[in-house]
Amino acid sequence: MKHIRLLAVMSLCLACLCALAHAQTLPGDTVEERAINGAKAYVEEHQLQEPSLTILLISLFRNAMPAYARQWEELTGIKVNFIEYGYTDIPSKIMAEAIAKTGQYDIFNHFPYVVPDGAGAGVLMPLDNFTERGRPDFTGIEPALRAQQRYNGKQYFFLLDGDHIILVLRQDILELPGAKEEFQAQYGWEAGCPETMAQWEQLASFFHTKKGETRWGKTFDQDLYGAMAYRAINFSYRHFPAYFGGLLFDQDMNPLVNTPRGIEAVRAFSSIVQYMPPDIQGWGTPQIYPFWASGQAFSVMSFPSIVGYGNKNPQTQIAGQQLSCIIPGVMRDGQLVRRSPQAAGTGYMVNRHGNHPELAYYFLQWFTGPQQGDAAIADPRGFWDPMRRSNLNNPAIVEKFGSQFIETTMANTKYAISLLMLEGNYEYFNVLDKNLAQVMQGNLTPEEAAARIERGWNSVTEDVGRDYQIESWRNGVASGAYLDTFK
Amino acid sequence: MKLVLAEMEATPKRPAGLAAWLAQERIFRLVPFVMVEGMFLLLLALPFALTIYISLLRWRANRPFEQAYFQGFVNYARVIAEPEFWWSLGRTFYFAAAAVTLELVLGFFLAMLVHQAFRGRRLYITIFLIPMMVVPVVVGYNFSMIYVDSGPLNQILAPILTPFGVTARIRWLSHPLAAQWAIILADVWQWTSLTFLIFLSGFAALPPELINAARVMGASRWQIFRRIQLPLLKPAIVIAVVIRTMEALKLFDQAVLLTFGGPGDSTQTIAFFLWRQVWQFNKYGFGAAASVLLLLLLSSLIYGGIYLLVRERALLQQPEGRG
Repeated sequence: MKHIRLLAVMSLCLACLCALAHAQTLPGDTVEERAINGAKAYVEEHQLQEPSLTILLISLFRNAMPAYARQWEELTGIKVNFIEYGYTDIPSKIMAEAIAKTGQYDIFNHFPYVVPDGAGAGVLMPLDNFTERGRPDFTGIEPALRAQQRYNGKQYFFLLDGDHIILVLRQDILELPGAKEEFQAQYGWEAGCPETMAQWEQLASFFHTKKGETRWGKTFDQDLYGAMAYRAINFSYRHFPAYFGGLLFDQDMNPLVNTPRGIEAVRAFSSIVQYMPPDIQGWGTPQIYPFWASGQAFSVMSFPSIVGYGNKNPQTQIAGQQLSCIIPGVMRDGQLVRRSPQAAGTGYMVNRHGNHPELAYYFLQWFTGPQQGDAAIADPRGFWDPMRRSNLNNPAIVEKFGSQFIETTMANTKYAISLLMLEGNYEYFNVLDKNLAQVMQGNLTPEEAAARIERGWNSVTEDVGRDYQIESWRNGVASGAYLDTFK
Repeated sequence: MKLVLAEMEATPKRPAGLAAWLAQERIFRLVPFVMVEGMFLLLLALPFALTIYISLLRWRANRPFEQAYFQGFVNYARVIAEPEFWWSLGRTFYFAAAAVTLELVLGFFLAMLVHQAFRGRRLYITIFLIPMMVVPVVVGYNFSMIYVDSGPLNQILAPILTPFGVTARIRWLSHPLAAQWAIILADVWQWTSLTFLIFLSGFAALPPELINAARVMGASRWQIFRRIQLPLLKPAIVIAVVIRTMEALKLFDQAVLLTFGGPGDSTQTIAFFLWRQVWQFNKYGFGAAASVLLLLLLSSLIYGGIYLLVRERALLQQPEGRG
């Protein structure tokens, strides 16, 4: 009898807890509905008159975002304003806000790698309390991409962009009569998407053609560069992890770059530059995208949106002629390791010093939700790239990007990894960039550069605080953001 | 009673309290001085004191300010031990020396041509002054297009260089040396206008009697230029050197817009180094210490320049027959 009574009391308690938990979650069947209901309830509860949110927006999205702002205003009555800056300026604006605490912005729009500094400075709001109520849905997003939304165990970021790098080849050049046969005879494998970085360099070398030459029945009226990729300051670090193929530090934050594997990565990263346009070390996206679309290169390793640009840009010479490839890998202990760094990855964060962090959160949940997020990815005015499994079957997204590209980029998400999610990461990146540039210019050997990078990274680690960095690094690795684990 | 009231009305009202104190003539004379001092305190002394205070703190902005702590002169020692600081400083002096020299020579030459009377003179003056009025950001973007590998500059150079077997595809923005000269030339394009303006006013102020007298006495053009015009233009030259050097040492816009300090760090100027340390790397304490050191270094140079200027004026103002 006593046991039955105890059981009854326990059941009652459990039921009460369930009811309480249910009462705390927001009503609504979908992520978007819950966000809208949450926002409406917040406005009502706080009796806000003419509520508004301000987004510190990457200027690249100035054409696409206003439509979603209008939609949100129609659904909730909350106006959304924008303050636009170039993406290179936004991190410093976020850090300035950490000090000034003006509350001028409610939402920050940038990339995952700004989270460590922003969270450390206390300007980014951990969103876990809100996610408990709003129950966002991250299913269909690969674990490594999902992990980029968190730092030191807390959720700070809502991702809406599969910006992991991809390789694209020129299908029309590959299919020139006799090209594949000649390549096969020379290198022993069929020309197409390469398995390794070394194979990509073989392709680049083979197809690199001078202006005026006639090959495979075609006379090239302009130079055809074998390869293109980002090699400028502020960009090299976004690609280097693909050549390294593993964790950049051991579990005690000792750099692994000054090892045979690291030196080989530096060498491979620099070696292929000989097949790239001579100005490549000064080029960013505004130069690389049009050059690719002009048809003067055989291959490009880039952000995935280059495929859309190559197909849709009014001046393009290569529409329908692009073959998207999964990122090539490197051989490690006899195994092929592919790693595709999330080179940018647009997403959204909440300013802790904003006027209504909870309200800002609801906008994030709504805008990046499975349905709304897919609508944004399909938007021809936007630069959001596919990242959810549902994107494969979304007709509007397939229409925008083409099925070959979507299948490739979604397969590539399996290899997507985060850039360094550590405080002071810009300084780590800068040390890497500067020394890679010196190797590409022939001023340093890969061995010298690797030793310098090691020294520079150790210096940054000491400056930020080794113990703190070790903890963050271990947390990051454990979260799966880098795919690899400590051996 | 009426008499008392009439007396009261006749006596002018005397202000009381603060108003009375301010109405005193000796105080009134001090008011502008107090305003200037106040502005100095607010706009210069206070931020400078804050910069010095921050330079003594261990503070990276990726931690809240509340966690910053006093650590003495550690940041100063780090700056002095940082090779990048010295490289950036040396590079800035190199840019400034090259740019200012070219600007002085070109500005002087243009002013010498234009100060003579000829048809369309005003139009030329206007044209030569335009670059100075363009916003530096616009200059940066325009030059980034001009310098593109297959851009207009290389296309203009192609027919000149190709006959000599030199490739005309100069990597203006990606070769370290070419990138440095790309920045110098952009600076020269924009700021030759200023030196031109200074020299033009210098030429306009030359006493024509002196030149005419020399001409009458049979002096050649070169002698007039060498013995009369050039010495009289010395103050203008010193002003142009001081102003342009001060500005060139702060070179930032072109380095950011054209190359973002690259390739590698071959175009990183000292201003860009400071910006990067503070706004990219969040090293506020370190950046403040570097700023203070830089201020000391540059202000000693600038005061040297001003001393030259003052001495030059003093020499010119000396009465004839003395000194």
